[in-house]
Amino acid sequence: MEKKTVFIKDTNRIVQAGKDFDTHFLSYVREVGLEEVVEVTRVADIGIYDQGVVVKIMPGDIQYAQVKDTDIKRIVDETLKKGNVIQELVCTKEPKQLRVVLRNCGVIDPDSIEEYIASGGYQGIKKILSGMTPEQVIEELKVSGLRGRGGAGFPTWLKWKLTREAQGDQKYIICNGDEGDPGAYMDRSVLEGDPHSVIEGLMTAGFAIGATKGFFYIRAEYPLAVERIEKAIAKAYDYGLLGNNILGSSFSFDVDIRLGAGAFVCGEETALIASIEGKRGTPRPRPPFPSVKGLWDKPTAINNVETLANIPVIMTRGGAWFAGIGTEKSKGTKVFALTGKVKNSGLVEVPMGITLREIIYDIGGGLISDKDIKAVQTGGPSGGVIPKEYLDTPVDYENLQKLGSIMGSGGMIVMDEDDCMVDIAKFYLGFCVDESCGKCVPCRIGGYQLLRILNRISQATGTLEDVDKMKKIALAMQKASLCALGQTAANPVVSTIKYFEEEYKDHIVNKKCRSHKCTHLLNYSIMQDKCKRCRICVIHCPANAITGDKEKGFYVDQKICAKCGKCFEVCRFGAILKE
Amino acid sequence: MAKLTRESFDTLVHQLSEKRAESNWIKVGMSTCGIAAGAEDVLNTLTEEAKKRKIEIVIKRCGCQGMCSVEPLVEVHVPGLPDVVYGKVDKACAVKILEEHVMAKKLVNDHIYELRTKR
Repeated sequence: MEKKTVFIKDTNRIVQAGKDFDTHFLSYVREVGLEEVVEVTRVADIGIYDQGVVVKIMPGDIQYAQVKDTDIKRIVDETLKKGNVIQELVCTKEPKQLRVVLRNCGVIDPDSIEEYIASGGYQGIKKILSGMTPEQVIEELKVSGLRGRGGAGFPTWLKWKLTREAQGDQKYIICNGDEGDPGAYMDRSVLEGDPHSVIEGLMTAGFAIGATKGFFYIRAEYPLAVERIEKAIAKAYDYGLLGNNILGSSFSFDVDIRLGAGAFVCGEETALIASIEGKRGTPRPRPPFPSVKGLWDKPTAINNVETLANIPVIMTRGGAWFAGIGTEKSKGTKVFALTGKVKNSGLVEVPMGITLREIIYDIGGGLISDKDIKAVQTGGPSGGVIPKEYLDTPVDYENLQKLGSIMGSGGMIVMDEDDCMVDIAKFYLGFCVDESCGKCVPCRIGGYQLLRILNRISQATGTLEDVDKMKKIALAMQKASLCALGQTAANPVVSTIKYFEEEYKDHIVNKKCRSHKCTHLLNYSIMQDKCKRCRICVIHCPANAITGDKEKGFYVDQKICAKCGKCFEVCRFGAILKE
Repeated sequence: MAKLTRESFDTLVHQLSEKRAESNWIKVGMSTCGIAAGAEDVLNTLTEEAKKRKIEIVIKRCGCQGMCSVEPLVEVHVPGLPDVVYGKVDKACAVKILEEHVMAKKLVNDHIYELRTKR
């Protein structure tokens, strides 16, 4: 008999005590004398969730779910011994992830150009330099339907075409690696894990638009990404894949790195250009668009890291192949940084059109707590929250926009009942207020005023008129701000009001925060029936707000209480009521 | 390194494809997420302990595999066993991987987070 490996995983979150399925399995394997050829291994994760015990047998890739102790005998006798598949136990799960952008991440050594070449790298640029015209490259990209992965979803081919057609003796191509959304790190991982694919994408873009010079604009907070890109560029020069007459053709292309100092606004293209030019990183009105008047007033195309990492695959496998993935208007895959209250946080790459539920439950493994999911935040500070009622929406640019959020660069934060929507709105708005460059009034003052109102609401001094006032200010910011930062800064506020207005009213009218997040709205009191009069809360209270004695019991003086929650933390009898 | 032409590029691709069949290797995810979780220690431990035990195995670095919550990640390829990705690997687990997986050809319990069925 061929040597077999059996993988066992109890996929239910709470592992039942005393169950020990794998021991039973192993003892039966020994009983029938197969221990020499069958290896039994307990795994930590098998990619299936809430399906009881899952057993996977390799080779053969047979997977059984909801397996009971009573099934052990037939699995060993039928499947292991005879190779017969027990149909009623089979659990087939198609892999939900599809790795296009992350094809090499975690597979090749990022510092080795040879490993990149061995895995099909630089084949795209070779194909182009073997006789394609820039127009053909742009046409191929048009067929692919690739849209910008930085957030707005502008068709990449059109951006390249406009830049190609613009008049100018010198043109530039810039890779935007100024990823700054809280909780998003897709671009960092691509730059760190597969730097050559981004370089190849940049070269292709340069060829298509007629640029001989490209820039990487990477934030200085990503030192490892910068180091790996630096090394990769040096290697590419070494091999003649950058510089003059690349691969013996007439195409020459040079690449340089510019570091961003960590201003969020520099991810906006005109501010980014100003920053590369050595000026203060503030946006300017468009038009003229960078494709006409960009870096040093020359026609410039700016593409996001993930967009560029898609290019080499599109060039080698063809635009039609790429267009076969995704939905009607959103093609290809998208990388998301799945974080928040989800079990498997990390990077996921999925075809467009997958639902949020599939991402969170089938890939993310569900919620980390036993609380109910409340909402998903996408698109970072420019995005919005999507309540749980819409989890079955297929993810693409249009659908997310319809829901009041955006695709953004791909941050996806899962929130449960413990997350207060007023608090979330305050967090994201606070981020944008900090990062506003201050050049235009709607963003500078609008954001600040919105934040003041939110603070009032979370401190129990808000009024119902405040909600309408916030809607008005948000509209003004959306319509009149100079750049996308201001135009979208109010999105988290608008979307939380849209879906969770009740929660705002709860804060204002009932002075209650149902998620116990807004400290000013909390009330701490002592439940006398549970209190053992140990005085530990009295000792720890920094405000001396707890008074009383062992006979009469202890009480929190609400006028003095600073709502710090220390008593709640130290009480060993659960006698402090937080509401 | 001489500058590549289209022809010599093809030759290089051909050479690399022939060279690539290493019989056994270990890959450690060394992106920011992995390093923050202690991947450097794991890589050093693997290298040192393999040397001590005179195990001939190629120990390589790679980028982020995506499962950031269970970093550091270590992928092991040894003939005769399925390719697996170990997660939450610390120094002790790294030694186990060498002793059990690589030397004794037995998978390490409770640390496997992904099975690579196809490449």
